[in-house]
Amino acid sequence: MSSRCRAKLVVIGIAALAVSACNREERHSRSKPIGETVPAGESPNTIWPGGSAPAALDPRAKLYDNNAPAISQGQQLYMTMNCVGCHFHGGGGMGPALMDDEWRYGGRIDQIAASIAEGRPNGMPAWRGKLTADQIWKLAAYVRSMSGQPSKDAVGSRAEGMSTTTPATLAPREPAHSSDTAQQ
Amino acid sequence: MTMRARAAAMLLPFAAGACSYQQYQSIYGNAAVEAQQFNSLFVIFLVVCAVMYAAVILFLIAGLLRRRRAAEANVVEDGRHHESHPAMRTGLTVWAAVVAVGLVGLAIASFFADRSMASAAANEKLSITITANQWWWDVQYNSADASKTLRTANELHLPVGVPVRILLHSNDVIHSFWVPSLAGKQDLIPGRDNDITLVPRKTGIYRGQCAEFCGTQHAHMALVVNVDSYSDFLKWWQHQLTPAAAPTTPLAQAGYHYVTSGPCSACHAIGGTPAGGTVGPDLTHLASRRSIAAGTMPMGEGNLYGWVEDPQSVKPGNHMPTIGLEPAQLHAVVAYLETLK
Amino acid sequence: MPPEVKFIASAEPITADANCAPRQGNSEASGSNAGVFHGGVMRRVSGAFIVGLLSTAAAVTSGCNRSADQQTPGKVIAGSPPAANHAVLDAAASPADDGNWVMPGKDYGASRFSGLNQINPSNVAKLALSFTFSTGTTKGFEAPPLVVNGTMYVITPFPNILYALDLTKPGAPTKWVFKPKPLAASQGVACCDVVNRGAVYDAGKIFFNTLDGQTIAVDASSGQQVWRTQLGDIQKGETITMAPLVAGGKVLVGNSGGEMGVRGWIAALDEGSGKLAWRAYNTGPDKDVLIGSRFKPFYAMDQGKDLGVKSWPPDAWKIGGGTVWGWLSYDPATKLVYYGVGNPGPWNPDQRPGDNKWTTGVFARDVNSGEAVWYYQTTPHDLFDHDDINEIILADMPWQGQRRPVLMRPARDGFFYVFDRRTGQVLSAAPYGYVNAYKGVDLRTGRIIPNHDKDTKPGRVVRDICPASPGLKDWNPSAFSPLTGLVYIPHNNLCMDFGAMEANYISGTPYVGADVKMYAGPGGNRGAFTAWDPVNQRKAWEIPEDLPVWSPALVTAGGIVFYGTMDGWFKAVDARTGRQLWRFKAGSGIIGQPISYKGPDGRQYIAFVAGVGGWSGAVVSGNLDTRDPTAALGFVNAVKDLPMKTTAGGMLYVFTLPR
Repeated sequence: MSSRCRAKLVVIGIAALAVSACNREERHSRSKPIGETVPAGESPNTIWPGGSAPAALDPRAKLYDNNAPAISQGQQLYMTMNCVGCHFHGGGGMGPALMDDEWRYGGRIDQIAASIAEGRPNGMPAWRGKLTADQIWKLAAYVRSMSGQPSKDAVGSRAEGMSTTTPATLAPREPAHSSDTAQQ
Repeated sequence: MTMRARAAAMLLPFAAGACSYQQYQSIYGNAAVEAQQFNSLFVIFLVVCAVMYAAVILFLIAGLLRRRRAAEANVVEDGRHHESHPAMRTGLTVWAAVVAVGLVGLAIASFFADRSMASAAANEKLSITITANQWWWDVQYNSADASKTLRTANELHLPVGVPVRILLHSNDVIHSFWVPSLAGKQDLIPGRDNDITLVPRKTGIYRGQCAEFCGTQHAHMALVVNVDSYSDFLKWWQHQLTPAAAPTTPLAQAGYHYVTSGPCSACHAIGGTPAGGTVGPDLTHLASRRSIAAGTMPMGEGNLYGWVEDPQSVKPGNHMPTIGLEPAQLHAVVAYLETLK
Repeated sequence: MPPEVKFIASAEPITADANCAPRQGNSEASGSNAGVFHGGVMRRVSGAFIVGLLSTAAAVTSGCNRSADQQTPGKVIAGSPPAANHAVLDAAASPADDGNWVMPGKDYGASRFSGLNQINPSNVAKLALSFTFSTGTTKGFEAPPLVVNGTMYVITPFPNILYALDLTKPGAPTKWVFKPKPLAASQGVACCDVVNRGAVYDAGKIFFNTLDGQTIAVDASSGQQVWRTQLGDIQKGETITMAPLVAGGKVLVGNSGGEMGVRGWIAALDEGSGKLAWRAYNTGPDKDVLIGSRFKPFYAMDQGKDLGVKSWPPDAWKIGGGTVWGWLSYDPATKLVYYGVGNPGPWNPDQRPGDNKWTTGVFARDVNSGEAVWYYQTTPHDLFDHDDINEIILADMPWQGQRRPVLMRPARDGFFYVFDRRTGQVLSAAPYGYVNAYKGVDLRTGRIIPNHDKDTKPGRVVRDICPASPGLKDWNPSAFSPLTGLVYIPHNNLCMDFGAMEANYISGTPYVGADVKMYAGPGGNRGAFTAWDPVNQRKAWEIPEDLPVWSPALVTAGGIVFYGTMDGWFKAVDARTGRQLWRFKAGSGIIGQPISYKGPDGRQYIAFVAGVGGWSGAVVSGNLDTRDPTAALGFVNAVKDLPMKTTAGGMLYVFTLPR
């Protein structure tokens, strides 16, 4: 092809890359005040009686869901806020496994954020007054990355320290099932 | 440039170093044995190398001038072996000898400087562990008596004349410990044990900073070093071991309640209270420190307000989130923090 | 993937086993043994051929075909029988057996020895199921059933339901059920499955603890609550999983939560009213630890004032662990309670320089006042979570010419300790398995000698530390037979990689600071059942087991030792030789105490509850993901194959000889 055509293609390619990379790398360092919290209404998959519909995905979800800085900061928070002490690196322990395809309380990012903020009856602590909404969303983004949900270019790769699970860039994407076994 | 101007340019660093303000954060500070030894060595190198440099320049000039006159000695065209000028031969031998002597001399000087630094630092009496985080310094004073170990942040107090060994660890990326007035740089590398030994000579306050790019706020990762007399140092250590005083005013009590039950205690520790977080700096004696946020702002009430309310505008990207406190909460929290002397 | 097969030749001649009928053909054995021979088809075929020959030879000699997954019979290691003048039980702490089983340890001396001898090596192969009972739970079942005069009491893991079964009627119907309804949130602060290690019967009442920190007394005949006392606070991360001890009119209870930044304690409640009589902490100033004028530790390292504060950085003792989640023993003659103390917190040792008193040690306290009488620190400045809460067996032992009152215990750090129980002097400490984290115990100073090559380093991973965090043996207690003089130790053979990092303290959340990965130790077997001669400090025999042995042991006067494996095999083994005599495959892995009692009809019964779980079985009971080797504090890596070998459950099995 002619060089003019090639040049145009290159320009379009760069523009496309720039646009797609926008959301993945967008980093905002200020968070909304803790007063505006994760919405309490995000229920796990349940019966919606009489034809009512589940709530739409929270608009903040797309700021965090495939966002690389959010996932990596979520990973730091996961270690420092002791999530790793109960859920380890996704395998579970005191708490259920987070890297598999079973979600007791829903696997959408807003459902995970609600679980973190509100706590859950069988022992998940409520972090609402302890973490800002921004931190909770970042943690939810990281939790999703443990089961391979975000796109592979947004997740962190090899971790330092002891090798634990498959790197997130290679982890298989687990389909999200609702867990129907009530483990007590 | 004239010779006079050049000489003046060479002497300018010395003049600058002599300025007393520069002792605060200056490689010419000479506040510790290491810095002093290093600077002496530096001067020796500078003088020797300056002399060599001058000699080389002179020879170069001489060579350039002679070349115009010695056009007839063209060995290649003639094919004749041109005997070297005896004066030239002597000159070269002398020059080689001078260089050799110079280099040996520099090596010896370097060796002795290193040995004297090592001997001054032998038998260290004080052990400190610094763990660098993004973007603050976690300082722990070690003690054979475990109950006297002290944890503080972003500030070092050292006794004058006492060799101190600082163990350097990092929790995340590579940082570098650099207090120019005291000693050179030493990296803090995650997963590796490094150390640096210092023997402070002069009391005073010196500033250090991180010298290895470590992220967005690398520029705001400073460290304040106070060198005190031995008795003042011990008094400081004793004071730092005391737990935080219980707040007396209702506003400070409200602040205490918020700090220990709210988000602050998830990351910060305050001795004598339920707050036990290790992710952020220890706040037990926050108000006795000279700066906030690792040298980003000087300690003061207004700065505390600004920092606690919106750390992300002061130090964007750092790990302390902007919580968005209500005004009443902010007053209470700052009132409590100010009691943490 | 074919299951791994260890074709280990037996050291003793194979003898006919009455219960072992010849199997059809050897093809099954050959097929799975093909996995032993790596390489191509030709080697596979020839390997199978050789194996087939050997199997046939074995089958002909034994009249019994070895199946691929049968464990090796006991190997006699030392070769000589135990000392003729061997240890015996303390008479006061371990009275004669009346056919009941009133506390998990059988008696105050924690012997787990049943005096019933109807079942013996000649008839144990005929043991048959008498009745079963489903508890309805699927979490780890560590408690024994209790039997008191014709009624059996079963306490379940969370939600800690107490069942009373009427043994006088056929099928043991339920008499009553007591539901304490503990808080569901307590499941979130229980480190190692939501287990309960047992109830206790005394003076017409059943005493037990609930996961959310309550101690409850229930009338044994009616099932009505007598009293209930809240002792622990789940907001601080405290739970209670241990079985209480009732002695001297007091109910002794200790908390759990060494991984949650809890401050450990032991408390005594008045048996009649449930009111708190005394509480002794295991860290902090002497007045909290109830250290007074009577306190005389034997070794210099444990002597000093306020060591519970001085051996910690400031304030670290307040969240320093030292819980009491294991076993208590009692000497009625001296009125002393003996118990071990759990690990210091956090696991990352660089956050707590100092010896960290009074964690990972053994206390002797007066039961009435709680005053400490002596203490020994087993692992000062513990690096590896080697809690010291293992059982304490009281015995009288010949030692250098005289008989001495001792307490003996196989500890987590890998050493079998024998103490003089009057003073706390360590008489001997010999390793009962492979240990490389310590070089030994200096009996002169009493201090354990660490191997500094295995010191943990912040930000780095230290590899191949043996024994791993669960220790050479975890909480599951051993049994002692005064007839053979041997201690029967069900234990692990695990090593680990340990990566330390900074732990953050937030109350109600874990306070650990370590990534751990465990795996099998030398030999490849992850567990073993060892018969140990405490006088001569050596093994009498040992049975290697594929999985860690997490069930307690039971030994009877009939000469049989009973224990269970994590994949559900309940085994009867000859107490003298270690030869397997009988086994039964239960519906779930066995981690609960087996008991033996005399039924209302006068016959000897053997009972246990099968329900895999606990720290080792959390991968099954918690439905964890085996792809994360650090899950469940590193245990998942060691038992990745467990979900294929067993499933969760909670079923009581009772066996007896047919009429």
